[in-house]
Amino acid sequence: MSEWQPKILAILCNWCSYAGADLAGVSRMQYPPNIRVVRVPCSGRVDPLFIMKSLQSGFDGVLISGCHPGDCHYISGNYVARRKFAVLKPLLEFIGIEPDRVQFSWISAGEGERFATVVTKVTEDIRKLGPSTKLVKKL
Amino acid sequence: MTDSERKGAVLPAAKEPGDAVLDFLRLVMEKKLADAVILPLKVPSGDSYAWILMNDISLLDDAVPIAATMPVHGAKALRSLTRKGPGNLTVIAVMRPCEIRAAMELEKLGQVHPDNLILATYDCPGAVQLQKYVDDPAGSEKLFTEMMQKGKPDDSAKPVCHYCENFSMFDSDIHFGHLGLSDKEMFVIPGSSKGSKFLEELGLTPAVDLSAWEEGIDKLKTDRKKARKSAFEETGVQLRGIDGLLSVFANCIGCHNCQSACPICYCRLCYFDSETAEQNPDALIIAAEKRGGISLPEDRILFHTGRMAHMSLSCVSCGQCSDACPVSIPVAGVFSYIADQTQRTFEYIAGRNDGDPLPLRQFRKSELPGVHELVKDADAEVSSHE
Repeated sequence: MSEWQPKILAILCNWCSYAGADLAGVSRMQYPPNIRVVRVPCSGRVDPLFIMKSLQSGFDGVLISGCHPGDCHYISGNYVARRKFAVLKPLLEFIGIEPDRVQFSWISAGEGERFATVVTKVTEDIRKLGPSTKLVKKL
Repeated sequence: MTDSERKGAVLPAAKEPGDAVLDFLRLVMEKKLADAVILPLKVPSGDSYAWILMNDISLLDDAVPIAATMPVHGAKALRSLTRKGPGNLTVIAVMRPCEIRAAMELEKLGQVHPDNLILATYDCPGAVQLQKYVDDPAGSEKLFTEMMQKGKPDDSAKPVCHYCENFSMFDSDIHFGHLGLSDKEMFVIPGSSKGSKFLEELGLTPAVDLSAWEEGIDKLKTDRKKARKSAFEETGVQLRGIDGLLSVFANCIGCHNCQSACPICYCRLCYFDSETAEQNPDALIIAAEKRGGISLPEDRILFHTGRMAHMSLSCVSCGQCSDACPVSIPVAGVFSYIADQTQRTFEYIAGRNDGDPLPLRQFRKSELPGVHELVKDADAEVSSHE
C-alpha cells in the first residue's frame, strides 16, 4: 500500500486566496496535491462548525485563508474570521485536536508563490501529526 | 459611577427581603411610575413558578420576587415581551442577576429591547435545582430561606451558583442589596442613569453609605472566586480531550433540552434541528465505512461542541442547561468552563452593559497574534524572496 497522504480541506475566500491559488496554478508552481479547495465568498463566512464537521468527516487538517488585513472585499470579514477562529482555538484544544491541524492564513490574489509556500508548510505540519483520529471514530 | 461613590436608599423594614421588594413595587404602581410588573408567581399546583406580566396590583400579593428556583429563564420572558421592539409602556422586572445578564446579551443580539424596561436585580444566594424543587417544594423553600440568610448556596443549589461571581449588582437599573446586612434591612441602589431617575421620581433619594453591604458582598465574592478557580481546575482535568468529553456526554439522549432552556440560543431553527444536519443513508454508511463505525443518531457530541462554538461568548453561566437535562449531565459546568476561556480571549464578560458590542461584532486591526502565527515561517520565507 502506498504511503499515507494527509487530506486537507482548504477553505479559500473568493477574492484573494482563491485567486492566489489560481495564480499559483497558472504560474505552474509546485505544491503538494493534498488540499481540497472549497471556495467561500469571504473567510468571515466560515462557521467554526464547518471546521469541526470536516475534521469529523475524515479530513486530517483544515486551512482557512482570507485576504490580508485591510484588503477584505467586504471591508472587515477577515477580521471577524480571525475572531471566530480565536474562539474555536481553545475549543479544539479542549477537544484534544492538535492546534497545527487547523491553520489560518492571509494570502492575496497576487501571492501565488506564498500560496504554494503556505500549502507546503501546512501539508508538512499535518503530515508530521499523522492521520486525524481524535474525532473520526467517536463523534 | 465608581463603587466608592455609590449610594443607596433604605427601604422600609419588612418581614422578608422579598416583602420589601413587593412594598417597593406597590409604591411604584401606586405612583404610576410603571405600567406593569414582571415577577415570578407560584403556579396553582404550588410546585413551581411562572413569570407573570401583571398590571393588577392585587396580583402582587401572590408574587414571589425572590423565587427559590428558576424554571423559565427571566431573559426568555423579557425576550417574549420585547423581541419585536420596545413597547410604549414602562415595565419593571425583578430578576436574578444572571437573568438580567442574559437579557443584556440578548439585547446585543437584537432579541430584547430594554428601552422602556426597568430591570431590577437582587443579591442572589443561588437557585435551587429545578428537579430538587419539584421533588420537594416545601423542603426546598425552607432550604432557600436558609440560603438567603447565609447568602451562600447549599447542596440543593445549582452547581454553577457555587462559583458565580456576578451574583450581586451587575449593570442593572436598580439593585436591591440585602446580603450581609442585619435582618430586615434592605438597600435600593441605582445602577444606571435610568435607575437613578426612576428612584428620584419615586422619592427615594440615594444618600445612604453602602460600605457595610459592599464589604459583605466583596467577602462573598472572594469565596466564590476561590470556588470558581478550583471548580474550573477540576473540570479542566476531567474533561480534557475527546475521551473526557465523551464520558461526560455519554448519556446524552439528544433531546436538545439544554438548547431550548438556554436563554442565549434564540435561533428559530438550530442547525442541528435543521434538515441540513440530516444525512441520507448512503452518506452515513460511507461515513461508517471510513471511520469503522459511527454512533446513531449522529452528531450527538458535535451538537454540544457546536453549541459551545456558537454561544459560549455570550454564556452567562446561569445553569439552565443542567436543570433541563433529563439525564443529569453537568452541561452548565462544561459550558461555564469553555465560556470562561473564550470570553477571556477577548477580555469580554458576558452580560456587561457598557456599550461594548459582542466580540464577534467588532475587531481591532492588530490583535490576536497567536491566530496566524502558525504560518509565520511561511511569512519569513516569502519575505526573503522579496
